[in-house]
Amino acid sequence: MTFEPNILAFCCNWCSYAAADLAGIGRMDQPTNIKIVRVMCSGRVKPEFVIKALSDGVDGVLILGCHIGDCHYVTGNHRTLKRFQVLERLLEHIGIDPRRIRLDWASAAEAEPFSKMIREFTEQIRELGPNPYAGSYA
Amino acid sequence: MLVLMLEDIRKLVKKTLDGGKVDGVLGLWRENGRVGPHLFVKGDDVSMLEIDPKYNLASVAILALASGVKKIALIGRGCDERALVELFKRYQIDEDAIEFIGMACSVEQAKFCECDIPYPTKIQFGEKVKGVVPPQLEDVNEMSLDERFAYWRDVFAKCIKCYGCKNACPVCVCQDCVLEDPMWVKKGEIPPAFPMFHLIRAYHMADRCVQCYECEEACPMGIPLTLLYRQLRQDMKELFDYLPGASDAKPPLTTVLEDEKLEEGA
Repeated sequence: MTFEPNILAFCCNWCSYAAADLAGIGRMDQPTNIKIVRVMCSGRVKPEFVIKALSDGVDGVLILGCHIGDCHYVTGNHRTLKRFQVLERLLEHIGIDPRRIRLDWASAAEAEPFSKMIREFTEQIRELGPNPYAGSYA
Repeated sequence: MLVLMLEDIRKLVKKTLDGGKVDGVLGLWRENGRVGPHLFVKGDDVSMLEIDPKYNLASVAILALASGVKKIALIGRGCDERALVELFKRYQIDEDAIEFIGMACSVEQAKFCECDIPYPTKIQFGEKVKGVVPPQLEDVNEMSLDERFAYWRDVFAKCIKCYGCKNACPVCVCQDCVLEDPMWVKKGEIPPAFPMFHLIRAYHMADRCVQCYECEEACPMGIPLTLLYRQLRQDMKELFDYLPGASDAKPPLTTVLEDEKLEEGA
C-alpha cells in the first residue's frame, strides 16, 4: 500500500482560511491529505498543539497565518513566528525532523500560493514517510 | 578558605540583621544535622548558618514574602541571582523586596552542576571560577536525528512522572501547570508519553531556564534534563540574543518582532 500523508493545518480565520476557501471556490487542484483546523489567529496555535499532533501520529503540521503586518490582531503572528522558531530547534534537539512542521503566510486573496504550499508540503511529507515518533512507549 | 568565607558571611548576616534595614535574611541553616532553608531574623544564632549544599532560595523567597515580611536579604549563588531576575520580570517578586548577597561557586560546585556561569554579577564572597561545558553536549550534537531521537526516547523512558523537575524549578511559577492538565498529559500513564510530556516542559523552559541544575538534581531517575535545556538557552541566544536571567530584558516570546511596523503610519 502506498503511503498517504496525514497532515494537519492550522489556518487563521482572517487570511489563510479565506485563502483555502477561495482555492476551493476556484476549484484549484490540490491534494486531499490536509485536514484544516480553523483558529481565530495563528497566534492561537500553542506549541502544545503541534507537539500533540506529532505525538499522536500526524505526519506533518502546517501553521498558516496572515502575512506579518496584516494580522487581524496586529501582533498575533509575530508571536507565532517566534514560537515556531524555538519549536523547530527544540524538535531538532530531541531528534524529530523539523521539516515535518512548516509555518507560512497566505493572505485572503492568495488562493494560488495557498494551494502551491499545500502541494509542496504534501510532497515533502510523502518523501519523509510515515511519522515514526508516535506512541513511542505504547 | 571555605571556612573563612563562611565565617565572613555569618558576620555579614549578623550585621545586616542588626542594621534593621531588612526583616530577615534568607539562607541555609543546620539543624539536627540537616541543612535546609531558613529565614534568619534578629536574635537568631547566625552560627547555625551554612552555605553548602547548593539550594535554590529564589522560590523560597516567594514563600517568605508571601508570609508577610516586607524586605529580605538573600544569600545566593549565580543561579539564585538569575532566577530572581526572571522572577522579578515575571512579577512574582517585587524587586525592591530583595537585597541580594552574592557568592561565587567553587570549582567543585561548578563541576557538579555543569554550570556555565557559576557566579553572580556582583560577587561579595568567593572568587569567580571558569564555567563548565558538559562533554555530553558535543555527543548529542554529533548524533544524527534518528540517533538523537532514540537516545532521548531511551533516556525519558526512565521518567516516573514524579514532577520533581517541575517542583524543584525556581522559575516554574504557573498556578495551573499544563503538565497536570489531562488535555495534554494523560493521567496515570507511566512513563509519560514521549515526546509529548518532555517537549512541553522543555518548550516552557526555553525563555526562562537559568541553568541552576535543580531539576536534574531532583530527578530520581538521573535524566540529563539540563543537557536539553542548555541547548535551548543557546538557541535563545542565537535567535533573539537573549539569555534568561542575564538582564531585565523582556522574554522574547512575549514581545513583538523588532523592526516591524505595527500599523500603517504608526
